Amino acid sequence: MKKGLNTGLTAFAVLTYLILIGLPTRLEGAAQPVLALLLALFFFAVLRSQGKEMGRGELLQSGLVAGLVAGLLVVAEIGFFVGLLADGVKIQPVFDKVVPLNMAALLNVRAGAIINGETSLLAYAILTAYLTGAGLLGGLLVLFTRSGTASTVRSTRIPGGRWLVILLPFLLFAFIYYLGLDGVKTFGNDKNIVRLLLVLVATGAGLFALAAAKEGVEKLAIGGLLAGVLLFLPFVLNQFQNSVMSIVFIFVMMGLGLNIVVGYAGLLDLGYVAFFAIGAYVYAFVAAPFSSPYISSLLTGMGISPDSPLLGYWSAIPLAMITAAIGGVLLGIPVLRLRGDYLAIVTLGFGEIIRLFMLNLGDLTNGPRGLLQIAQPTLFGVAPSALTSHLDAQGWIFLLAIFGSAVVAFVAIRLNDSRLGRAWVAMREDEDVAQATGIHLVQTKLLAFAIGATFAGLAGQLYAARQINIFPENFSLFVSIDALALIIVGGMGSIPGVVLGALALKGLPEVLRGVDEYRIVAFATLLIVMMIVRPEGILPSARRRRELHSAEAPPPDESDVSDKPTDGQLEGGRA
Amino acid sequence: MLTLENIHTYYDRIHALKGISLTVEQGEIVTLIGSNGAGKTTTLNTISGILTPKEGTVYLEGERIDHLPAHTVTHRGVVQSPEGRKIFARLTVQENLEMGAFNRNDDDGIASDYERVLTLFPRLRERIKQPGGTLSGGEQQMLAMGRAMMARPRILLLDEPSMGLAPILVEQIFEIILEINSQGTTILLVEQNAQAALQVAHRGYVMETGTIRLSGDAKTLLADPQVVEAYLGF
Ligand SMILES: Nc1ncnc2c1ncn2[C@@H]1O[C@H](COP(=O)(O)OP(=O)(O)OP(=O)(O)O)[C@@H](O)[C@H]1O
Ligand SMILES: [Mg+2]
Repeated sequence: MKKGLNTGLTAFAVLTYLILIGLPTRLEGAAQPVLALLLALFFFAVLRSQGKEMGRGELLQSGLVAGLVAGLLVVAEIGFFVGLLADGVKIQPVFDKVVPLNMAALLNVRAGAIINGETSLLAYAILTAYLTGAGLLGGLLVLFTRSGTASTVRSTRIPGGRWLVILLPFLLFAFIYYLGLDGVKTFGNDKNIVRLLLVLVATGAGLFALAAAKEGVEKLAIGGLLAGVLLFLPFVLNQFQNSVMSIVFIFVMMGLGLNIVVGYAGLLDLGYVAFFAIGAYVYAFVAAPFSSPYISSLLTGMGISPDSPLLGYWSAIPLAMITAAIGGVLLGIPVLRLRGDYLAIVTLGFGEIIRLFMLNLGDLTNGPRGLLQIAQPTLFGVAPSALTSHLDAQGWIFLLAIFGSAVVAFVAIRLNDSRLGRAWVAMREDEDVAQATGIHLVQTKLLAFAIGATFAGLAGQLYAARQINIFPENFSLFVSIDALALIIVGGMGSIPGVVLGALALKGLPEVLRGVDEYRIVAFATLLIVMMIVRPEGILPSARRRRELHSAEAPPPDESDVSDKPTDGQLEGGRA
Repeated sequence: MLTLENIHTYYDRIHALKGISLTVEQGEIVTLIGSNGAGKTTTLNTISGILTPKEGTVYLEGERIDHLPAHTVTHRGVVQSPEGRKIFARLTVQENLEMGAFNRNDDDGIASDYERVLTLFPRLRERIKQPGGTLSGGEQQMLAMGRAMMARPRILLLDEPSMGLAPILVEQIFEIILEINSQGTTILLVEQNAQAALQVAHRGYVMETGTIRLSGDAKTLLADPQVVEAYLGF
């Protein structure tokens, strides 16, 4: 009962958010069923994890209560808004998406009815019924997916469910491929957006498929197939989809780096954008030397023409990495003794300092005018987009980002399993005890900062190539926040979690264009909801999950692990 | 084996150790007793390198270790089991123990020490997959000791291993200390429970406000009227 209430309140918060960003307006007549379906999925996810120990009746009751609470609260809220709108109160300046059309879609009435204050109670009742039904449906879905009687408390899945999870991404990718064929008219004008959404969903589904695969040959085979499909994607997507996916994977690289600093070593770094900026600017300096007044006059003085790049993309990689690593150590040294909140504040300042440098060192960085016409990466001296008509410039960047993410992920996995990885864990848990067990704190900390910075530097370099022109405002605090939010949402310390977080936070807003302006609100809401519903992230590392759920669940043993294949057992390293 | 000569340690301006000298010989159990705030923990932290003395020297088998960082001191075989059940609360018992062997890479030796620790503390074996923080106070104390032993110390610094334990467990802990010692580990034992500590130790030092008041054979101290009056409370 109490759990149902809590779930209902959370659902209400989610719905309010969706209403405030104007989703119903876009859904028009389909608003009620679509929202109800979304809500049912939400309830399903929550109840499935909460309701492990519940019997059939209790589960349905929880769903019912949750749905009813959410429904009544939303209806009260809408009633309030409708009242204001009918009275001609100007709420647009505060909530610009709360317009009659939005309310009309929610209640499935004409917009005119809202303006004239002619909404019937029946309309409200129907909406309440829809949402309550969503709660019931969520509960039923949980019952349906755990076979056996309610008395067998341990949830077991429908037979074949595992294979469904494994096959899903491949089916989706096949459909994406089909949509891209010439002459396919499905979805009409929305095809571009729908296809992007499908790519995001399919990639995410791939992570779950990987998690569902059995350790060993099966996992390797599925991982290999997924990698193959992913590498194929840049060739079949269009420029727009590729550009979104390239930014997603650039943030995967960033997230993996920040994950080392925050997730593995437990150092809350809010200035992470600094290293991203360093990587980008270092590459811009060598790839577009003419853009920087200082560098170009220096080169001219030495008798070198500044008009052509000093280094190609590949030979600039070590430079970007090393410079970023040095930046990491420089940040690390002064903060060695700081912990927790203090660390966060100082690193936050560091990120801003770097941005201000970029802005004010006009001679070197060209200030707010930015560095322009940055040379594109080549493959043995030729641009791949010139070789095949199937790969556009953004697709090439996307391909490089996949490649970079794979390399970075591999390094991160190896690090997690290493001695250094264990030292990070120990340090994260308790610095004093770590020291007493013989861990060199200074070295361990600086290595975390340096390695994390290196990954960000790599990502920054690719970002500069993607953008072609970079400006200081590309490297604001929000980049750090994005990176942090995506690892929190995905699951701190988990590599698949980072990918999922990047898909959700960098990819989805592009699909829901209108949401983009609400990004901050979106993050805040998402983070709050996450913290309540699933504090360990969507695809957490096994350790995190244990840490956060040790109070409510018995200590995990091996049988527990094999029992729930779809529940995100894969982890950034050892189980 | 371990010698402290005229050690002065400060916390900023607080003069916590005012000229401590003591020795621990190979194979001994030496106990350091004294009232709250006497400076016992400070002494151990100075030995293990967490604190650096302002004056004086610490020798380990003739080599100075007083200015070495903590992790190097651990590496040299001086391992501390800290006061107040300092364990990695969110790591499992097993991971805690493995962390103790951080500086070793003799896998066979680690495996045999792991067995040894679990044989000494059967409770830990029962709770091997449980997060350290969910253990009872006494079990956490055992875990801290076990973790220290996983480093295969030459000299083990124990800081109040019996703190807050039920009498039966106290007895058990002291038996285990004797057992560890008989297996060849030298022990410097800090204790509030002077009676029990002096019963297992070979020699003892009595501290008071940063200085050593008394020292001598454990049996002699047990009978010393000053000790009896101040710490044994008869
Ligand atoms: N971090 C610190 N900063 C300042 N003073 C400290 C600090 N730690 C200890 N002290 C002081 O140093 C003195 C010795 O403390 P210490 O912890 O060594 O005592 P102790 O003998 O271990 O006591 P107990 O039996 O209560 O553990 C005390 O007066 C204490 O207040
Ligand atoms: Mg003490």
